Amino acid sequence: MSETALAARPTTGMLRAASPWLGAIVLVVALPFVFSDSSAITIMNQMAITIVFALSYNMLLGQGGMLSFGHAVYMGLGGFMAMHMMGWIEEDGLPIPLPLLPLFAGLFGLACAAVIGTFSTRRAGTGFAMISLGIGELIAACSIIIVAFFGGEEGISGDRTMGPPVFGVEWFTSGEVYWIISGWMLLSALLMYLFSRTPVGRMANAVRDNPERAEFLGYSARWVRYISFCASGFFAGIAGGLFAINYEILTEENLNLATSGAILLMTFLGGVGFFAGPIIGAIVFTLLQTVLSLQTELWALYVGALFVVTVMFFPGGLTGLLTIHIMPWRLGRLSELMIPYAKTLLPGAIGVLGFCGFLEILFHARHAAAGDHEMILFWITFDTHGPLPWIITAVVAGAGYWLARRNAPELKAALDHASAPDRMP
Amino acid sequence: MSAALELVGVHKAFGRAEIIRGVDLSIGKGERHAVIGPNGAGKSTLFNLITGRFPVTSGVVRLHGSDVTGLAPYQINRRGLSRSFQITNIFPRMSVFENVRCALLWPRGYRYAFWRLLDRERALTDAADEILDQLNLTKRRDLPAGVLSYAEQRALEIGITIAGGADVILLDEPTAGMSHSETDYIVGLIRQVTIGKTLIMVEHDMGVVFGLADRISVLVYGQIIATGTPEEVRANAAVQEAYLGAALEEDT
Repeated sequence: MSETALAARPTTGMLRAASPWLGAIVLVVALPFVFSDSSAITIMNQMAITIVFALSYNMLLGQGGMLSFGHAVYMGLGGFMAMHMMGWIEEDGLPIPLPLLPLFAGLFGLACAAVIGTFSTRRAGTGFAMISLGIGELIAACSIIIVAFFGGEEGISGDRTMGPPVFGVEWFTSGEVYWIISGWMLLSALLMYLFSRTPVGRMANAVRDNPERAEFLGYSARWVRYISFCASGFFAGIAGGLFAINYEILTEENLNLATSGAILLMTFLGGVGFFAGPIIGAIVFTLLQTVLSLQTELWALYVGALFVVTVMFFPGGLTGLLTIHIMPWRLGRLSELMIPYAKTLLPGAIGVLGFCGFLEILFHARHAAAGDHEMILFWITFDTHGPLPWIITAVVAGAGYWLARRNAPELKAALDHASAPDRMP
Repeated sequence: MSAALELVGVHKAFGRAEIIRGVDLSIGKGERHAVIGPNGAGKSTLFNLITGRFPVTSGVVRLHGSDVTGLAPYQINRRGLSRSFQITNIFPRMSVFENVRCALLWPRGYRYAFWRLLDRERALTDAADEILDQLNLTKRRDLPAGVLSYAEQRALEIGITIAGGADVILLDEPTAGMSHSETDYIVGLIRQVTIGKTLIMVEHDMGVVFGLADRISVLVYGQIIATGTPEEVRANAAVQEAYLGAALEEDT
């Protein structure tokens, strides 16, 4: 929409800006009625917590250009604080209703980020990454040393139902907790989005692109990074508070490097260049983690491979892949892409399945109980110690890969052709 | 009247190599001043010392009479000095409009606010659009700055430099690498946007220098060997010998 049209009809512009958020609210409200069994609710709770965490991470990576290897620290610290407060509510009768707990966890995350940020945001790039790694190790090590706060190896656990009831709700079930978590998720996402539209949020982009130029426009690059860092710590802390409410336990695992690595992975998978990127990354990653892990023990291998492929071939992440279709869609040319897609994606998908089948057979042959030669894969029962399954999966993988690779340039050309705004008829 | 910009005994050494060897320079308010000299004379280094990009080894830099030696670039910028770069230095992944708007934020008092939404600041948007119009870049408004042509990026560079309304403007080779028509466009732009401001520029194109500057300083091996009006500098024997003779022949 052009500027003049916006000026003429400001309400239309506001409606357009608000529509994704209204859609999100409707979705969040509708989901528990569509997927009402408890395992689905569990997954959705986990997803919402991860979305807040991933969005807070992207405030650093995507918007501020700061690669952190220790972001779990702020979520973990916020979560531990929330667990302690839950304990104070239970034992000392601290009159804080459960839905407000994430706010205090966020403030604690903010306070920790405000201290650590004073020295870690001095530089971006390698310096920042290294310090974040060091802090991550340091806090993870502290969790075993400072037992009073971190609870040692067994962590800190509590009971969320001890606080004052809110409208009679005492938060016994994960279905009730869903409303706290999804409400905070929506609020946090909105606030983080609005942050990116403020002066300091815009300057975070400028400092990411060119810190030196930003300094010659009157802004201290370090101070801009520091404010982004504190805001990111606040929202990570909120995620930690939500985690504490959902699981009622925090351990060293919540602030160690593995968790920090996972958030980097899923944010990148979703796409760091887009606000929605971390949301999509968190949803996909949580689904893989929960659903795929029920199907196969090798799920982490597949997620790792997906990450490597994304970094190598789709630096825009999954969201980047989606956005390249916006132009053809607007021009009404999506149908042109059907055949090239079928020619590339179909053999590609079959090849990937063949490759996964090969890996699964290998894993079964090496790790199944002695004498157990029988395996069921894709509803077919066969003997993993015979040569035939190996040959078939290898051939399928190879042929699929070869075909997909052969047809990929055609797909790319079709995409370019469909995206060109003014082409010859 | 105090000078807009004043340098007293400025020295700069990188290790044992002395690049700037005692520069004294006083530039009055509203003056258009050009710094010329052969390659490697230290012109860009001088700019970097004035703007706080490098610390001076010794000497004093004064902006509107107050000492700014040793301040960080952003502090000097806040006191009303803005600069462009020899190598285009913009925000390549942000839109052209965003580039200009970012340059307006600090001077307009937005500082580090995280409670105001920029899209609602109508006056700010209008001001940025006005500058884009002045730069002839309105059509490119929503493109990422990194995809603009070289001349357009140079124009944007100047636009960012002047957007904040700084009254002392330093331009480092604004026409470097440009064709004749592009040079004319940029010179016209510089003339238009620096009305009533103090301009200091490094430039190799003698046509541009003698056309724009009120006064010229000639920097050779880290020292100023002559300062004066274009006519005085042109007639100066030392300048003829050191630099200008060759440069003028080359130019004509």
